[in-house]
Amino acid sequence: MTIIYNIYIFDRHCECIFYTEWASQNSPLTARSGQSADAATAQTTARGASSDAQDRRSLDQPRPTVWPSSANSTHGSLQRNLPMEEHAKLVYGVAFSTRNIVNKLAGKDGPQGGNPGGFMSFATNTYRMHYYESPTGVKFILNTDPGTTSMQQVLEMIYRNIYVEYVTKNPLFNPNPAKSTPIENDYFRA
Amino acid sequence: MAKQYRSIGEEVWKNKVEKVNAELFIFTYGSLVVQLIKDYEDYHSVNKQLDKLGYNIGVRLIDDILSRTNLEKCKDMRETAEVISKIGFRMFLNIAPSVSAWSADSKEFSLILDDNPLNDFCELPPRAVQGGLWYSNVLCGVVRGALEMVGLLVKVEFVRDVVRGDEVSEIRVRLEKVLDEEVPVGDD
Repeated sequence: MTIIYNIYIFDRHCECIFYTEWASQNSPLTARSGQSADAATAQTTARGASSDAQDRRSLDQPRPTVWPSSANSTHGSLQRNLPMEEHAKLVYGVAFSTRNIVNKLAGKDGPQGGNPGGFMSFATNTYRMHYYESPTGVKFILNTDPGTTSMQQVLEMIYRNIYVEYVTKNPLFNPNPAKSTPIENDYFRA
Repeated sequence: MAKQYRSIGEEVWKNKVEKVNAELFIFTYGSLVVQLIKDYEDYHSVNKQLDKLGYNIGVRLIDDILSRTNLEKCKDMRETAEVISKIGFRMFLNIAPSVSAWSADSKEFSLILDDNPLNDFCELPPRAVQGGLWYSNVLCGVVRGALEMVGLLVKVEFVRDVVRGDEVSEIRVRLEKVLDEEVPVGDD
């Protein structure tokens, strides 16, 4: 049975535009000082039983918190969740560097990026990290239990059916290369 | 290669794309241009606005194309041109422009549109022709936006247009630069 721990989505400007987690004890979301409202909801004990969308809906759990959220960012920089930002940067760095190594070793390296070397996932004792990059530079990172073999198809499906459908087709979402905005969409969160 | 792209384009058009009434689309576009002209009064600004509109469309369109087809990275401009004409235009407008007039270094090409559906019910008054209005300039913006998201900085312009009295519509696409990927900001 596949257990999903969390998911990150980065846009082509290296910014984390979406993060959600299920069943995490030391959540970086709760590491901020003085934020009680989000801390309570972040301690969700929901377990993503499988990545199948139907299963998730039928499990009837409280919705996991999503980060970043504009409700915080409009109140000024005091509310910036620094541990979370650093966490996201670290994750991005790992994925970015590993993908570059894979590309170099495969001999298909180039300054334009993309994923010609085909970096798909790596595993440790406690988790496996899956990676998928679209040709437009949108990166999807998914952490699951180490027993899962491949989530390439799942990540591709997330890109095609969910990201493209609800995010790019949403007229209020700004894919402008100059700014990066978080994914605010309720449909996307579901 | 060309045959393969053509068949992919046709297959996507037939199966995977939701279709909307062409006349509705054409009339909506026409009234949009008219409104822009009324607002701006200067035809060059209208051209720029249409290009900007197209750019925003193109930036999202590319994700749509990529998600519906399993396209891989194009190796050079010639493949890119084929993909744009046979798959991109086919998917959204059901037309098949032809690619021609390659420059010596393969960085520039022309898309020849025999029948542009946007022009179907359109007649330009003489002052618009003199003022330099490119009626379908939104298409230039779309190509520019889409290519920028996959890392190609291009300049796209109309050269000839049926609405202005030429025989065919021609769009010239020029590769300015291949964009590098962004590296995350370091903590210094």
